[in-house]
Amino acid sequence: MGAHQGRITSSKFRMSALGTVLGGSLAFGVAAASAAEITVWSGYPEMVPFYEHVAEGLKEKHPDLTVKVEAIALREHEKRIALGLTSGEAAEVIELGTSTATRYLENGLFNKAPDAVAAFVTDPANFSEFFRDSASYEGAVHGVPLFRGQSALYYNTEMFKAAGLTEPPKTMPDFTSYAEKLTQRDANGNPVVSGWSLRLSGGGAGIAEKFWINMFQYGENLVEQAADGKWKASFANEAGRAALKQYIDNVHGLKTVTVEMPADAEAFERKQTAMFIRESWVIGDIASKAPDLPYATATLPRGSIVAPVTLWTSGEGEQAEAAWAFAQATNDPENLLWLLDNVGWLPNRNGLDYADILSRKPALAAFVDYPDSYEFFTLPNIGPVEEILTRTADRLTQAFGNASLAGNDAGIDEVLVAMESEINGLLQREGLLAE
Amino acid sequence: MLRRKRWRFAMLAILPTLAIFAWVRIYPIAETLRLSVHKWDILSKNKPFIGLANFRELFSDRLFIEALTNTAIIAFGVLLITIPLSLVLAALIHHRARSRLAGFYETAIFIPHVVSLVPAAMAWKWIFDAKLGPLNNLLGWFGVAPKAWLFDPVLAVVCVIVLCSWQALGYAVLIYLVGFKSLPVSLYEAAKLDGATGPQSFRLISVPMLKPITLYVSVVTLVSGFNVYAQAFVLASDAQGAPGRQVRVLVLDMLENSFRNYRVGYAASEAVVLLLIVLLLTLMQFSFLREKGGRT
Repeated sequence: MGAHQGRITSSKFRMSALGTVLGGSLAFGVAAASAAEITVWSGYPEMVPFYEHVAEGLKEKHPDLTVKVEAIALREHEKRIALGLTSGEAAEVIELGTSTATRYLENGLFNKAPDAVAAFVTDPANFSEFFRDSASYEGAVHGVPLFRGQSALYYNTEMFKAAGLTEPPKTMPDFTSYAEKLTQRDANGNPVVSGWSLRLSGGGAGIAEKFWINMFQYGENLVEQAADGKWKASFANEAGRAALKQYIDNVHGLKTVTVEMPADAEAFERKQTAMFIRESWVIGDIASKAPDLPYATATLPRGSIVAPVTLWTSGEGEQAEAAWAFAQATNDPENLLWLLDNVGWLPNRNGLDYADILSRKPALAAFVDYPDSYEFFTLPNIGPVEEILTRTADRLTQAFGNASLAGNDAGIDEVLVAMESEINGLLQREGLLAE
Repeated sequence: MLRRKRWRFAMLAILPTLAIFAWVRIYPIAETLRLSVHKWDILSKNKPFIGLANFRELFSDRLFIEALTNTAIIAFGVLLITIPLSLVLAALIHHRARSRLAGFYETAIFIPHVVSLVPAAMAWKWIFDAKLGPLNNLLGWFGVAPKAWLFDPVLAVVCVIVLCSWQALGYAVLIYLVGFKSLPVSLYEAAKLDGATGPQSFRLISVPMLKPITLYVSVVTLVSGFNVYAQAFVLASDAQGAPGRQVRVLVLDMLENSFRNYRVGYAASEAVVLLLIVLLLTLMQFSFLREKGGRT
């Protein structure tokens, strides 16, 4: 009995071992057979239909190519890139903002573009110098520019009309006076619909980025490049004070918005705020979630942030070739117009005819049709940029919740000095602080 | 000879398990210790040795201090709520073991432990919402002004403690119930004959007899309290500007330093500090709760 059982066990073991070997071989065979499969990693879930649309269009030229799109929230996307690229397990096509991609470029973790792609990207007819540079490292093209984040004002036209406002605010002080008129309050005077939704809380970097956009309207930046090519923060001045004071006044003084109120695109779509500043993707979001929302957009008083997002590739051989073919196909004019029309992100490529889309979606005009004097800034392509934004956001969140700063210019200055000194400390730590 | 053969066979038999344990447990800890004294950005091949520089920087880093303070408050807060409450609940359920609803009581308390964290945290986020949440509505009936639960720096930490305790309670009750079932009935019967009341039996028999269980549950609760991350992340942060102040906890700070700031060596030094704290607290718990001359 025991011997018999032993034989059965040993036979079972041999069978399972054989099964494992066969299963492994089969899996290897499948992997080998699907060599023409590439994966696209995106940090913007709303981009999935776009990449699928591009893949569909590629079927004619590359019938054997299978494109798998994996999009997750941006912060998680950044983590998987860090782990994936360093362990050699990353997707073949990776969508990433240039400021974050710099570290990977410095370490040679993204592929250099083949000649044909490089020629396409460096052609001034296709991309302006800013976007050419954003896809290059040490003079060589490493990526294909795709879209950009750029901000504009969104405002609810019905609420503007009800408040007797006929045009969007033109200056930053206008924003505050408009917010006062637009705020809807209950019988006790508490705001129920915010006049101007400000980014006051949340996960981190976004708070600092939004603050930077507002401060830029006053003529100041969070960090600026000096003549020696290094960087410095010097916003503890009148412009910085005006920007932070505007937040504090609106939250604690005028109470046009409170920290507890729903905020951002969702609040705007639910008519819980009258105006807010955001990128163009909100247009697509409104079209799908609140198609009847009466709204318009307007340019900001001085200019906007431009955060270029580029497609980079990793891997080698046939898959790398397929990845470049895919990345370049995203830039077909038909695909880019589809992107703007259906997703809302702004293409970086020159020479696209937006007339048809603008006639149907006039809200996009504030993003593509701006005055000649309109200025742009972008996040610096330096290692500690995320840390700078995160730490600044933490200080800002504390300041926004501090009612004692209302009418307290000295207190506001203290916050600005602390923020400035922390940023310069980070720059110094990395050897990036300008003289 | 036979003994040596047996010993060799036993060693060979456990070797694969030991190897896996060393690979998935010991090696990462050793690697973390090694990284903590190096400067590494996760991408570069260079990892210069910098001695204790990471540790020196840690203790002047306001975000690390904030994360450490929040984590300690959350861990001890959860411990202080979970242990007494779970002990009392387990006693009540055990006392009602013959009730038709005994199964229901156990299930009702254990469910939060098995429910997926993210939807549960989202539900709590709604409960705590300052504008739409039922908690402020409820407090309003008693004349309490609405609170910004998820934005106020103190209340946001309280919210994380409540959520973590709600989750930890089920497991702790379950373990205590097993403990109660193993206690000799004769002791209670003798106490009853001596005129002891129910609460007296609980205080003078159950609590001391359950010390080993309390040790186990408190170690597990405290360690998981120090590892809090997802609860703070989902409950008090946001996707697109929904109100919520980010409660900075150690694991969140480590992840941020590793994958956003690309400072893996620095994050490793945080992990070493966390490891030392948890080790120290576990040893202290063992020494407090160990019965003199007996096993815990």
